[in-house]
Amino acid sequence: MIMLYFLLLPLIVVFIAPLLTPKKSTYLSSLAFIIPFFSILYCIFRGCPSEIHIMNFSPPIGEIYLNFDFISNAFGLTICVVSAMVALFALPYMKHRFEEMERNVESEFRRYIFLYDLYAVSMLWLVYSGNLILLYIFLEITLITAFLLIYFYGYGNRRWVGLLYLIWCAIAGVLTLAGFIIIAFDPVNNTLALKGITAVGMLAWGFIFVGMLIELPVLGPHIWLPWAHAEAPTPVSALLSPLTVGLAGYVLLRIALIDYSFIETYRMPILAYAIFSSIYAGFSVFKQTDFKRLLAYSTVSQMGYILVALCLGPFGLIGLVIQYMSHAFGKSILFSSAGGIIAVHHGLRDINKMGGLHDSIPGISNAAVVGFLNLGGILTVGMLGEFFILRGVVDTFLRPDSPSFLGWTGSLPILLAVIFMFILSVWYGFYTIRKVFYGKPKDTKRLEISRYFYVPLFIIGILSVLLLFPPLSTALIQGLNAIPGLGLGGVVP
Amino acid sequence: MIDEWLVFLLLFLAPVVSSIPIALAYKSKGWTEKLPYLSVFGIFVSVLMSLYILFVVPKNQQFVYDWVPDLGINIVLITDYLSRYMGVITALIAFFIAIYGLDYMRGDYRPSWYWFFFNLFTASMLLVVYSDNLFLLFVGWEGLGAASWGLIGHWFRDDDEIAYVGVPKRKVGPLELSWPPSFGGWRAISTIRFGDVPMFFAIAAIWVFAGTLNISEINWESLFLTIGCAGTIILLVLLLLGLLTKSAQVPFSEWLMTAMTGPTTVSALLHSATMVAAGAFVFIKLTWYIKPWELHHVPGLNYVYIFALFIGLISGLYGALSASGMLERKVLLAASTMSSLGLMFGVAAASYWIHEEIAGMNFALLVAFWYMAVHAFAKASLFLVSGHLIHATHSRFSVGDFEFGKRMKTAFGVTIIATTFLIGMPPFTAYWVKSGMDEVMEHLIHHGMVIPIVLLILTSLVYSAILARFLSLNFIKGEKPEHEHVEGGGLMKLGYVMMVSMLFVLVYLIFTSAETAGFVHAGFIPTSFAVGMAILVAYVIAIYKPRIPSLAKLGAFFNDRMYLPFVNDYILPKTGFFVSHLVQDYGNRGIDGFFNTKVMPGLFERISKGIRTIQTGYLTNYVKIVLGLVMIFLVIASIGGILI
Repeated sequence: MIMLYFLLLPLIVVFIAPLLTPKKSTYLSSLAFIIPFFSILYCIFRGCPSEIHIMNFSPPIGEIYLNFDFISNAFGLTICVVSAMVALFALPYMKHRFEEMERNVESEFRRYIFLYDLYAVSMLWLVYSGNLILLYIFLEITLITAFLLIYFYGYGNRRWVGLLYLIWCAIAGVLTLAGFIIIAFDPVNNTLALKGITAVGMLAWGFIFVGMLIELPVLGPHIWLPWAHAEAPTPVSALLSPLTVGLAGYVLLRIALIDYSFIETYRMPILAYAIFSSIYAGFSVFKQTDFKRLLAYSTVSQMGYILVALCLGPFGLIGLVIQYMSHAFGKSILFSSAGGIIAVHHGLRDINKMGGLHDSIPGISNAAVVGFLNLGGILTVGMLGEFFILRGVVDTFLRPDSPSFLGWTGSLPILLAVIFMFILSVWYGFYTIRKVFYGKPKDTKRLEISRYFYVPLFIIGILSVLLLFPPLSTALIQGLNAIPGLGLGGVVP
Repeated sequence: MIDEWLVFLLLFLAPVVSSIPIALAYKSKGWTEKLPYLSVFGIFVSVLMSLYILFVVPKNQQFVYDWVPDLGINIVLITDYLSRYMGVITALIAFFIAIYGLDYMRGDYRPSWYWFFFNLFTASMLLVVYSDNLFLLFVGWEGLGAASWGLIGHWFRDDDEIAYVGVPKRKVGPLELSWPPSFGGWRAISTIRFGDVPMFFAIAAIWVFAGTLNISEINWESLFLTIGCAGTIILLVLLLLGLLTKSAQVPFSEWLMTAMTGPTTVSALLHSATMVAAGAFVFIKLTWYIKPWELHHVPGLNYVYIFALFIGLISGLYGALSASGMLERKVLLAASTMSSLGLMFGVAAASYWIHEEIAGMNFALLVAFWYMAVHAFAKASLFLVSGHLIHATHSRFSVGDFEFGKRMKTAFGVTIIATTFLIGMPPFTAYWVKSGMDEVMEHLIHHGMVIPIVLLILTSLVYSAILARFLSLNFIKGEKPEHEHVEGGGLMKLGYVMMVSMLFVLVYLIFTSAETAGFVHAGFIPTSFAVGMAILVAYVIAIYKPRIPSLAKLGAFFNDRMYLPFVNDYILPKTGFFVSHLVQDYGNRGIDGFFNTKVMPGLFERISKGIRTIQTGYLTNYVKIVLGLVMIFLVIASIGGILI
């Protein structure tokens, strides 16, 4: 029960924070996510009740409850730490932004912090929702709050971009809702409570899958993402890309754990599409000139990993969870460092005008390196993610007892494609680092910048490294492995 | 008796933890001048721990600590023959280089970065050396990759020509053959990553099919038989990709050459006991436990070993030939390192056909391992000397006449010792090991392979000549340096003198250890002696005539690494950017135009306009619409009526 109060804390803060000054409200918001972070950590080490009942509705809605398994905890942990740290980063950034927009900082900050907190807390509640309708409600709140943040404080043609984002994600939301409703009215289920659902028909799966592909997004629908990520105010980009879009992966994972048949039936086309999408987006990165747009394409590429992981059975699904975490850590660091450059170098976003920035902002530059290490899965928790995804490939295609067995020569194209997909992240990552931060500096003067611009990023970075090693990874991975359907507990479908 | 876990913890963490203060104090000039001593002390702790493991900790024992025990991912450390010795070699070399670095890196513009990555580099290599668990090994492996990136690109400003590789603005065809440090770093990590992910995949496959990740516990025979011939070949080739890229074997050698943009201390460490050595070391270690000489009935395994044998020997010859045309001190040494590593790979791969065991260990693997040890100390000494020379002459090209040589006595002496002890001239250290190598390759003739011994002897002769050339052009017959700054550098001298003195320890060990008796025996075989004498002749000739003007064209071809840079710098990036151009300028722009900016918004606009034009307010319009709808209804109804 105590966990419920910890989750309620940030929800209450949503309404208190706007009453305070910018600095106090930022600290309060950050604290409101750090406290649940530690409580989740406690949960991971010591265990806690797996669910908290809230209320009962009549069928087909069914029981509303909060779900506290290791999957939710892994996602929740990530959301808490990223939201808390980005909130700190946003303090100088948003002040700078309001001044730039010639608005009253004090009053504008109230509106902003309310939306920011509501946005973050709705994601946190989304991953703990035990009922699909509750999950859907929070999904829509994230959509609306993010839309408003882009609409009010974005860059460039922000109103148009905001609407673009709203329309795409509304389509995604509606399709998903349609899928949920079909599940609810299926006489086998007659409920939307996750634990009560026993079957997900192909039609429902199809709706949810397409909806979440738009949200994720993959090649095709991905086209909303570079706009939204590039033009959103950076703290919003730093939540939108790391946390929000990956939640589509969370929804797909939850549905896949109930009924894996859809993925099993269409495994090959989905996998091919996912790999192609990831490699396509990876190549797109090299041609971007706007730093934030570049990061947006990298997000599309990384979301391809998530979809690949979804197709790869029990170990792939663990890989999905870890991949979400690692991408969230990496991308929140990277978007924040892009924001740091914007704030410090007067709106600098064009990569062709960068180069040698390490000299003026070493803190931000080094943080960005940690960010790209996360994306590439080097020495950070992402390594485990990649390892599990690779194991998923072996389990699915190379084990003679697997129904999708292809043999070593038969599955060679898949192996090579997945391997290349992973290689590409490091290639564009370090290519970008060189282009942005290294090379001949235009200005060798070291700038005195606010610590908010890099200290929070290093905290995320350190966590991402610690998560690779014991004791954190021991508790987390063993917990995930113990969930039925994941890891060794799962049967290779 | 100290607990082993504490020893291992100190061994791995002391270097990392001791370099954190300097990393944090990057803003303070005062602290960054003092804190390097702490970092060096951290490495010293590792040296002590590695010696403790060598002499006190029980041999051939596994130490297991929990990581993710349910899945078999654990911290498993082993104290087998290879790990115990390699650990000491790594820690000692890193320690000597670190002492040298205190002098060499003084006044550098980012000491925090340097010391943090230098120590991370050392710790990562130690992890690779002692690890028995493949996942743990891979963590160290990635640490090597990340740290090498940081160190090679250390002088990220690209503003000092002395840190470049190649002659600036020198063009061959469409390519400018010169590389700045920031590029060297990116080249290193991108090449290494190209091999790392396949290797990671192979580890995942071993995890599934062998049921364990511990190298010493894997039943390799049943693993190979389970996955069949194609499986064995694919698995091992993917695994080898990781090792070959790390060890810069052809065609992945370019990164090693451009890696010379890093500080010389980094090159020294990179080339002796870490990074490139890691590839060869892991190959020796895996072969040690695979025992391929007992697995001749496993289908496919022979192809893999023939592949490794020839990649190694071809790299050996390629590296040596390339070096023969080079004038840049460090790049010359880099190419020679590649050559040596090729020989290590070749000899280790030859173990497939070698059944001879000494003290229970395969002879070919012993040769490969001991050659790695000799090479490590000798090559590190040469690099440290060339770093001192770069400081003394302000040039990265080989310059220095005999006058200069006399003024740099210590460096001169150390170079003579390091080169003669490394090339295999009788009776110095490497001669005994190389004799063993000759014996191994000679044995392959019985299996119908004559080419290996020919390649080996050719490589050895060229190798001897290039090191002699290095000596001659820097101290004896080179041009007179424009700048001479021979004073000081006490810690630098101390560093390379200590380094080179280890070669004497090694020769002592060769004559006193049981497992090296085979080398001594091989050294007294007449053919080995003949090869040794040929090496000596090549050495003397090259000292006497380091440059042959009539072969200048050939030299330029070798200096340009036989135009291999065209693959790395022209074909691959051009292809990649062409794909990027396609996806961005056609793919993304097309999709964007369809959904967001042109087609779909235009369609909605037209529909909206159409609907709006209806609403004009004129009654006649509405009457027309109603009549039209009635007509359509009637048509449908009549068709329906007919059908019914």
